[in-house]
Amino acid sequence: MRVGVDIGGTFTDLITLDAGRLRLHKLPSTPDNPAKAMLDGLAHLAGGLERVTQVAHGSTVATNAILERKGARTAFITTEGFRDLLWIGRQNRPDLYALYPQITPPLIARADSFEVSERLDHEGNVLLPLTGQALGRLAAQVVMGAYESIAVCLLYSFRNPTHEKRLREALVATGAYTPSQIVLSHEVLPEFREYERASTTAMEAYVRPKMSRYIGVLRQKLPPRATLHVMKSDGGLLSAEAVQQRAAHTALSGPAAGVIGALHLARLAGFERIMTLDIGGTSTDAALCVGDVPLATHQQIDGLPLRLRMLDIETIGAGGGSLARVDAGGSLRVGPQSAGAHPGPVAYGRGGTTPTVTDANVVLGRIDPASFLGGRMALDVAAAERALAALGAQIGRDAAAMAQGVIDVVNAHISRALRRVSIERGHDPREFTLVAFGGAGPLHACEVAAELGIPLVLVPPHPGVMCALGLLIADLRVDISQPVMELATTDAIARLRGQQAVLMKQGRLALLQEGVAEAEMRFEVSLDMRYHGQAHELNVPLAGAIVRSFHRLHEQAYGYALPERPVEIVTMRLRAVGALPVPTFAPQPAAPHTPEMPVIDGVRRYARAELRPGARLVGPAVITQEDATTYLPVGWEGVVDGYHNLQLGRAPFHH
Amino acid sequence: MSVDAISLAVFQNLFAGVAEAMGATLQRASFSPNIRERLDFSCAVFDRAGQMVAQAAHIPVHLGSMPASVAHALAAFPQMNRGDVVVLNDPYSGGTHLPDITMVSPVFDADGIAFYLASRAHHADVGGMSPGSLPLSTELYQEGLILPPVLLRLSGWLNEGVFTLILANSRHPEERRGDLEAQLAAHRVGEERLTDILIAHGTARAQAHAAALIDYSARLTRATIAALPDGDYAFEDALEGDGQREALIPIRAVVRVRGDAMQVDFTGSAPQVRGSVNAVPAIVQSAVWYCVRLLAEEPIPMNSGCFQPIEVITQAGSVLDPYFPAAVAVGNTETSQRVVDVVLGALAQALPDRIPAASQGTMNNVTVGGANFVYYETIAGGHGASPLGDGLSGRQSHMTNTQNTPVEALEMAYPLRVWRYHLRAGSGGDGLHRGGEGIVREVEFLTEAVVTVNSERRQLAPYGLRGGQPGQVGVNRWVRRRTISALAAKATFRARAGQRLVIETPGGGGWGA
Repeated sequence: MRVGVDIGGTFTDLITLDAGRLRLHKLPSTPDNPAKAMLDGLAHLAGGLERVTQVAHGSTVATNAILERKGARTAFITTEGFRDLLWIGRQNRPDLYALYPQITPPLIARADSFEVSERLDHEGNVLLPLTGQALGRLAAQVVMGAYESIAVCLLYSFRNPTHEKRLREALVATGAYTPSQIVLSHEVLPEFREYERASTTAMEAYVRPKMSRYIGVLRQKLPPRATLHVMKSDGGLLSAEAVQQRAAHTALSGPAAGVIGALHLARLAGFERIMTLDIGGTSTDAALCVGDVPLATHQQIDGLPLRLRMLDIETIGAGGGSLARVDAGGSLRVGPQSAGAHPGPVAYGRGGTTPTVTDANVVLGRIDPASFLGGRMALDVAAAERALAALGAQIGRDAAAMAQGVIDVVNAHISRALRRVSIERGHDPREFTLVAFGGAGPLHACEVAAELGIPLVLVPPHPGVMCALGLLIADLRVDISQPVMELATTDAIARLRGQQAVLMKQGRLALLQEGVAEAEMRFEVSLDMRYHGQAHELNVPLAGAIVRSFHRLHEQAYGYALPERPVEIVTMRLRAVGALPVPTFAPQPAAPHTPEMPVIDGVRRYARAELRPGARLVGPAVITQEDATTYLPVGWEGVVDGYHNLQLGRAPFHH
Repeated sequence: MSVDAISLAVFQNLFAGVAEAMGATLQRASFSPNIRERLDFSCAVFDRAGQMVAQAAHIPVHLGSMPASVAHALAAFPQMNRGDVVVLNDPYSGGTHLPDITMVSPVFDADGIAFYLASRAHHADVGGMSPGSLPLSTELYQEGLILPPVLLRLSGWLNEGVFTLILANSRHPEERRGDLEAQLAAHRVGEERLTDILIAHGTARAQAHAAALIDYSARLTRATIAALPDGDYAFEDALEGDGQREALIPIRAVVRVRGDAMQVDFTGSAPQVRGSVNAVPAIVQSAVWYCVRLLAEEPIPMNSGCFQPIEVITQAGSVLDPYFPAAVAVGNTETSQRVVDVVLGALAQALPDRIPAASQGTMNNVTVGGANFVYYETIAGGHGASPLGDGLSGRQSHMTNTQNTPVEALEMAYPLRVWRYHLRAGSGGDGLHRGGEGIVREVEFLTEAVVTVNSERRQLAPYGLRGGQPGQVGVNRWVRRRTISALAAKATFRARAGQRLVIETPGGGGWGA
């Protein structure tokens, strides 16, 4: 039996696939011991842990270690003259107009940062040798510090890793450290830009020991024959053993699984071009997929750069818990402050008094108090109404009008995030399907789609547990990159084509170690390219007329191309994919019918569980289910497809 | 046309999204490290009358100077056509200093011009007497190509004549071409986005909300000023020479707070000088608006409304309001920082428990030019300590926020080698809270190069407040084989291969005893 387990801040979601049947289970997370909820759930769901054969896991261990500063005691070693690399960063301050500017402190203290005398030039030639004497002195200092973990980032190590490797050997030779306690920047991120590489290396070193221990505990508790895979930030799974050496790769994996799941379901239903909208309590994630999940390397976590391949997701601080208020200038503001889990929205009755987006949805009848979280949580509608009426009184609106205003403003924020992932990257949203999930995604999806001209909204059968589903569906992925930094001449491209065999051999080996059969392997080789002199690269598949493909992509992304200008290849990348058995969902025959439903206050009420394929829905309507609520506005219609997705569009809607 | 609290918030998002999209395009498509790595650019949306509606700014000094650019572009071309783009950089016609090239373009609806878009980017070289176009000059003509408002694009067609002329005047024409293309691309993207908004919401509605947003920011700014105690607050500081003479150049301000309005009067500041530290009034206004913006209790969307309650008085013929063709190359970077120190110093008397001590007060501009390359950088320093805690170390402060060029990017692109780049221990002023530390940066020239340094706070230390000690002054050194010579705050020299420049940037002032 295959199980997907997503551990979130509030809930731990499990999905099992047993003999073609999906089962879901949601239980409260156990933050002090995240494995506990998972093991309890597994035991409960599977009818005993022994039946579990494959576990695919989305973990927040690395993420939380960074956010809560609870990682390992870590040292940082760099080239002489650059000790404060992590502190100076890119020299800028995060907020332009702060009277008292602040930065996120690096993960490693200045006192734990060391220099070593050595220097390479930009081609990897040695300018200053790394002497045995310098190594000895450094090793003595570092051993004295009794660190759990060590991050090493020397200038140009991606060009010539010899010095970093010798540093590791010297530290291991002291007997105080094992090789895996020493994280080398050229292994973590063999790419230029020293601060970003150092920051990424520091993160790996900082989270690795904790991740390692966590995996160790899980391994012990799971049946020995069960495989354990962990999701990385790029949406691929990796075996628990391999992840121990790539802990930072999991740090932004949270939203990735959801996008993987959404894309899979959308493709089954016949949609290759999708935008995903995942709205949770405090934040919203948006992504755009054209046949595959989008990858980027320019992400941050807690203001610190993490330059690993990860899903290209736009996150904004707006969600169900976002607080609404009228400011001194007379404008409504929604977020970024959030009511969080405590006190939460006013309607939760836990002491919250400032209205939130969720309260606005409650007041408008879009969240049904009777069926919220399957009826397990009572909602105080009157309290939400009072809070919104009080806010509305400041601008002459009643509670309902105020609630609609709060929704309009949060939708404007969400639309802006969707524009960033589409229009700003050269895509027309009108050519995409919006896949909405997360507890609140389906509540806002239709209105946001209308704003952007998106013709179709798809709401999957279980929008609240998309991440767990994504875990069940994801492939194994190993990414290998190789710095190139050459002009894209015919010769260079021919040479790279020759070298791809070497890269693929490495990838094949890595997949074999992961237990993937040859027939299940797939390889994609691509190049990061840019016009000579630019800073940002575009990823181009290593196939066909590569330079021409680059010009075309550039034209699409930025509205112009410079065909006479030399093009540079920065990095060659291999993505080795090992397909895992994917659950098959057979579509059910969809017989068109119009189900009977109660109408309350002019709004139709559908119970999702009772809807069968072929059911036609007419807005205004609210479709409730345990893990999410869907709102279908006036003038919108929908149909339940053969996979139990809701397909929603403006009337007249032709499925 | 109904505007309310809700639609106001929605339109704020829409207009900000346009400026943001322009900025994203400009950054991704540009070529020079100065734009793509350091983000030395800003983009903005203006209404039909030339009032700024929204801005995506990375650089506070662009803040108030963008409206001046648009005003001059409109004065020169009151009847722009669809697809036109006006370009300018003349500091006496809406610019700030010559490397900042501004573009202005109209956005049409069916009836005519509905809005304007503007972008400004610092181009690494626009000619003039030394590479990088921030020379120790004595008149504007020495600082590079002067562009009064002219059409760079006419009805969608590139004006090849002007384009070629700009390229021909740069020491790095290919880079200029790429950056100018990127700037034009930003205008195309902005136009598409804004046009979509006009179609979706109607021009009248969009314009009504643009006006309402300006009023809104004016209200928030008034509320910010009203929270200050009424009174006259005076302060004085000085620049350390103009690159021609080392004599101090006093900057004086009296901040007059009356209810919800403020007047900042620079009467009594030094007369204009021969060297290049003169600043045009748009820069002074930017610095004043920046200071008021710091005091706001919550974020105020940056638009022309922020400027309404504030009157800035400069005397014609002074260092803060020079007559053409006074040299202005570093007024934008150095004088702007000193204006902030003076205004905050005055405000500290009104708000002794809120205002932080002085930050490094300079941008430490270094330009290096040799055969086939021009490189420009600014170096961060210490922030002033505040009632809340220590000042930040090694970060850009006040009127700039440019990023550094990574060492590994810099050395791949230019014949330079960075040997040291670390915090300058002990440079922050002592106090209850310590000033932030400056930076030590040591760069070797691998080929012969002309080097120009424009810096400040080499004699007069960044002040402490409430008994806090001043930060350490900065130091510039030229390291040759046998000798190390101290350089003046503003210096230019021809370096041989193997020689080095060492810059130690100032620390921030301390706060509290």
